[in-house]
Amino acid sequence: MTDDWTIVVPVKQVPDADDVTIDPETGTLNRSDAPAVLNAPDYNAVEAALSLRERAGGEVVAVTMGPPFARAVLETAVALGADDAVLLTDRAFGGSDTWPTSLALAAAADELEADVVVCGEESTDSSTGQVPPGIAAHNGWAQLTYAEELEPRPDADELVAVRNVEGGHERVAAETPVVVAFEYGANEPRAAGLHRKIYAETEFEPEQWSAEDLGITDDVGLANSPTQVGGMDTADRAEREQTVVEDVDALADRIAEVTADD
Amino acid sequence: MTDEEASGEGEEPVHEGVWVFVEEHAGDVAGVSWELLAKGRELADETDEDLVALVIGEGVADVADEAVERGADRALLADDPVFEPYRAGPYGDQFRALVEERRPSIVLIGGTTTGRDFAGRVAVPAEAGLTADCTELDVDDDGLLLARRPTFGGDAMATIKCPDHRPQMATVRAGVFDAADRDPDRDGDVETVDVVVEEGDALSRVLEREVGDVADITDADVVVAGGGGVEGDFVAVEALAAALGGEVAASRKAVDEGWIEPARQVGQTGKTVRPDLYVAAGISGAVQHVEGMNDAETVVAVNTDPNAPIFEHADYGIVGDLHEVLPELTERLRGAPPEPTA
Repeated sequence: MTDDWTIVVPVKQVPDADDVTIDPETGTLNRSDAPAVLNAPDYNAVEAALSLRERAGGEVVAVTMGPPFARAVLETAVALGADDAVLLTDRAFGGSDTWPTSLALAAAADELEADVVVCGEESTDSSTGQVPPGIAAHNGWAQLTYAEELEPRPDADELVAVRNVEGGHERVAAETPVVVAFEYGANEPRAAGLHRKIYAETEFEPEQWSAEDLGITDDVGLANSPTQVGGMDTADRAEREQTVVEDVDALADRIAEVTADD
Repeated sequence: MTDEEASGEGEEPVHEGVWVFVEEHAGDVAGVSWELLAKGRELADETDEDLVALVIGEGVADVADEAVERGADRALLADDPVFEPYRAGPYGDQFRALVEERRPSIVLIGGTTTGRDFAGRVAVPAEAGLTADCTELDVDDDGLLLARRPTFGGDAMATIKCPDHRPQMATVRAGVFDAADRDPDRDGDVETVDVVVEEGDALSRVLEREVGDVADITDADVVVAGGGGVEGDFVAVEALAAALGGEVAASRKAVDEGWIEPARQVGQTGKTVRPDLYVAAGISGAVQHVEGMNDAETVVAVNTDPNAPIFEHADYGIVGDLHEVLPELTERLRGAPPEPTA
């Protein structure tokens, strides 16, 4: 069974989007009050990883980086079927942008001897999509972003993906280890089984690794983040007439006016 | 001479120039590339630096010439079969080598599946700052790039800076800037650069690629978009678009349902459109969608739900089923064809 794959799934805890408010005075986001939930695209990543495990054999390990309470999303991943989970937690990680975040996840994937890393397409709170290619770049591994379907070829040390690209699709074969960013909504995530859920919430304890455990203390955190948020404000809203017309004739007249301009 | 010798011991090497990546697939240039060339020209004029176009592909010398005609002071041309079709590894390695050798200050890349795929493969090893999916770009008095991007589903705009790392890289949403015009008399150099990538080093191979015409909804004067309310049937939307000489677009819902191709998606994870007229049919009006059509001159909404948020973002709305309203509208508008727009 030495050919079995270790499939690592980096997941993220995000504020529940419905509960995030904008402070009208300062224009900044109040995220702290919002309950943390598993990033929605990560459900697709977990599902893709479990499906790979069923076909290729091996184990699925969820990893997250965050404060101690971020373990809640690891419990969710374990309830869904992940075999194990690791929490990367350390004050040194605070303030990390995508560069050190992907470094920490890359170091963890390397430590776990990952064959495949399956990420969600992007996070719902910052939606950069930069972490999956970042993990691949830090480790010098292959990458398959915008993947809609995965076909494991463990005997050939390859993973084949159907990628969604502008105007169509392509099938790409990549050498393992490989980092996948799985397209949001491209599979049907399974529901957590009751026994698994109880196990995740009662018995299960994730491993905890610090920046020092990974040997990256001096390379993470705010000081090692190239980008900085220089300000946040509410998006401009376009002024609109908001006129509701009664019938199609009236609407047709308005459209004819608009398209006849210039 | 090595870079260190050139810059002197302990001194920060100078980073200068605005770079724009010109994305090409099988002879077609992504529209966002020419948009970035126009914006890059503005930024370069403001900081008094050169605008450099980076062209990677196979048999793309004509694309490099066109980049000069559209505003680049210089085009760097990496021309080799290893770059066709696109793969993250070869593009990322070549781009990175050039960035580290030539040290640009600002690097702009289209926020396409391709651009978003390889940008990190440059930024990570180069220790550059990379801002994703920007919709506004500016430079401050010190020449620092101010990259603005929507965050949190479009409810807020964040300004991202990169004070201490170079280059300052950004991927930029398609459709937010006007494309640079072509001027055949414009002067500029095309420089063929050394290709540093070998096929043997590639970690992946493309088995099949099926890419049709890439719909460009970002340039259209009229856009008719369908959402969940089309319920799988885009015929009425297509007919109205045809009658108005416009393009068909869609909300994420319609794309996720597989009713229409992703290239036509408007909104946060899709494209930004700026037509004279935007018709939203059967689209509820989530902020993620509205963000992609906020710059439309006039917005018309058709929805069965009088309380749908889309009516707050529309100039003219009508409450009704799009499958009834649109055909009627199409017929009326066909009867009196609109004047051709300028």
